[in-house]
Amino acid sequence: MLRHLFTLIWNRKRANLLLISEVFFSFVVLFGVGAVLITVGKNYFTPHGFNYEDVWRLEVRAGQGLKMPRAELDDVVRQVKALPGVRTVALTSGNLPFIFNTNNSAFAYKGKKSPPTNYYDADDHYLEATQLHLREGRWFTQTDDGSNHRPVVITQDLREILFGDEPALGKIFTFSEPGPNIKPEDEFQVMGVVDNVNMESDFSAPIPAMWKRLIPYDTTHWETASMLVRVAPGEGGVLQEKIARTVAGVTRQWTTEVRVVNDDRLHRRMFTLVPVVGLCIMGLFLIINVALGLFGVLWYNISQRRAEIGLRRAMGATGAGIGWQFLGEMMVVTTFGVVLGAVLAAQFPLLNAFDLPAEPYLLAIGAAALAVYLITALCAWQPSRLAAGIQPAVALREE
Amino acid sequence: MENLLATSPETRSQPAAGLGATPVLRLTNIEKVYQTKTIETVALNQVNLTINRGEFVSVMGPSGCGKSTLLSLMGLLDEPTSGTIEVDGRAVQSYSDRELAGLRNLKIGFVFQSYHLINDLSVVDNVEVPLLYRKSMGGRECRQRALAALDKVGLSARTGHFPSQLSGGQRQRVAIARALAGGPEIILADEPTGNLDSVMGEEIMDLLLGLNRQDGVTIVMVTHDEQQALKTQRVVRFFDGSQVG
Repeated sequence: MLRHLFTLIWNRKRANLLLISEVFFSFVVLFGVGAVLITVGKNYFTPHGFNYEDVWRLEVRAGQGLKMPRAELDDVVRQVKALPGVRTVALTSGNLPFIFNTNNSAFAYKGKKSPPTNYYDADDHYLEATQLHLREGRWFTQTDDGSNHRPVVITQDLREILFGDEPALGKIFTFSEPGPNIKPEDEFQVMGVVDNVNMESDFSAPIPAMWKRLIPYDTTHWETASMLVRVAPGEGGVLQEKIARTVAGVTRQWTTEVRVVNDDRLHRRMFTLVPVVGLCIMGLFLIINVALGLFGVLWYNISQRRAEIGLRRAMGATGAGIGWQFLGEMMVVTTFGVVLGAVLAAQFPLLNAFDLPAEPYLLAIGAAALAVYLITALCAWQPSRLAAGIQPAVALREE
Repeated sequence: MENLLATSPETRSQPAAGLGATPVLRLTNIEKVYQTKTIETVALNQVNLTINRGEFVSVMGPSGCGKSTLLSLMGLLDEPTSGTIEVDGRAVQSYSDRELAGLRNLKIGFVFQSYHLINDLSVVDNVEVPLLYRKSMGGRECRQRALAALDKVGLSARTGHFPSQLSGGQRQRVAIARALAGGPEIILADEPTGNLDSVMGEEIMDLLLGLNRQDGVTIVMVTHDEQQALKTQRVVRFFDGSQVG
């Protein structure tokens, strides 16, 4: 019977072309939406690699053209750290977690080049503030003050890219295009390795990252100082006000912004969620349209094939058998569309499109195929039941 | 193939039915009423008819007298409003859809006035259709039986053609091959020559007569053609849903 169905569909290929096209386009849309959802879903469940709970972002601005003397900045850090409820304060660069500010570059070690890598400035308290998970080595300490090279801590994925199975600690690497005159602070010496991190958004994949030791010998060119403040659980607005007042107590010329890092995370999440939800809604409407189209075409097909149904009943088909035949035909048509769609979709992992790994693409192909079969089966179900109920004597008399 | 179609004047008038004949189909007190909200139409009224094994019976009557309804009931495609249908001595009114379908597939072959070929299937694929519903039969056996049936109706050279590439007479031969492929005991033919010119009609009639006389296939044929009816062993006449002769 399966051979018969394939023969029938093949011989009706022109008539079935529209159906096959609909299935093909549905598959492609579902594959696209599926690949996006699987990717963001997988990222969502991947650990961030640091603890953003009870961490605040403190940004102090000296104002355009104004200086930020180191002595006053040290005063601010010391006084904020001394506030009850504050656990630690870490000075860092402006590319704080979950905000739209990134610094990235490629790095190289003995001909091995990294992909774009986020890099941050971080002082000796950054590990305590973010609770990054050290895998190897150590975080920066005062013992690094005399270092000839810039002490850095890197993520595990960057370590694997640059050093492979070799030991990483103590190794020195540079920017991938360092320029003719390499300064000692542009030669990075690995002090430690931490777990992979995702500081972009809940739905982003971990990106290789590097923290350079921040040595604020001279801060007079700084306009803004960014800090991460770890506070005791349960601290809120009162402490935020105290921090703002403390900064103002050091100098009234500086402005202060205190934000909860978790709020930044939720804010950033919306920027990813809105387009994804929009894409899903568009995909859903498209699929509903396709489903209605399939339903209509199948209904029409059955009304056109009443005599054939009567004939098959006369030849020995049961009512249920007729229903299954029509369902089976639709599954064969679906298979043609799905195979064509899968051939197209398979190009994405083969060509390493969008720098994504093959896994989400392969999962999306499977999920799209499953969804398309489910949709077509549901659309074919009622028309097939209708076909099964056609009285053979009536159908044969009509023509 | 001409030998298959050939019939002799001696056998033409020889009745198959008689004392000791085995009934293959028996209709007892059959009544068929079509009911709508406003009208009740009696299509068949108290019909009693027995078809014996090996018979070739013509059913005649004016349009609308219930001939096709009778054939549908004989072919187990419809249920009577009242009365009993027996196939090989067994009443079928309590049979399930599956059992009736099995019985149709094994015992009954259908030939229709408008051929009812599936246009998207080749000749041989059309002939295979009834065999597809026999789960015990493999693909190779199906194909062999279909080819043998086509050989029997003289269409061995047309197996790969599609119905649209055939003449009316050839299409009806394909329909007869399809009816024969399953090796049925009974062929029910509803005006098999109705759409054909007289020459092609004669060819088809000769083919049916050959099948009846040489292969012993029981045939019940609805026809309007008195001449063709006279070639069969028995003529049953209907008028307004009642058997009148």
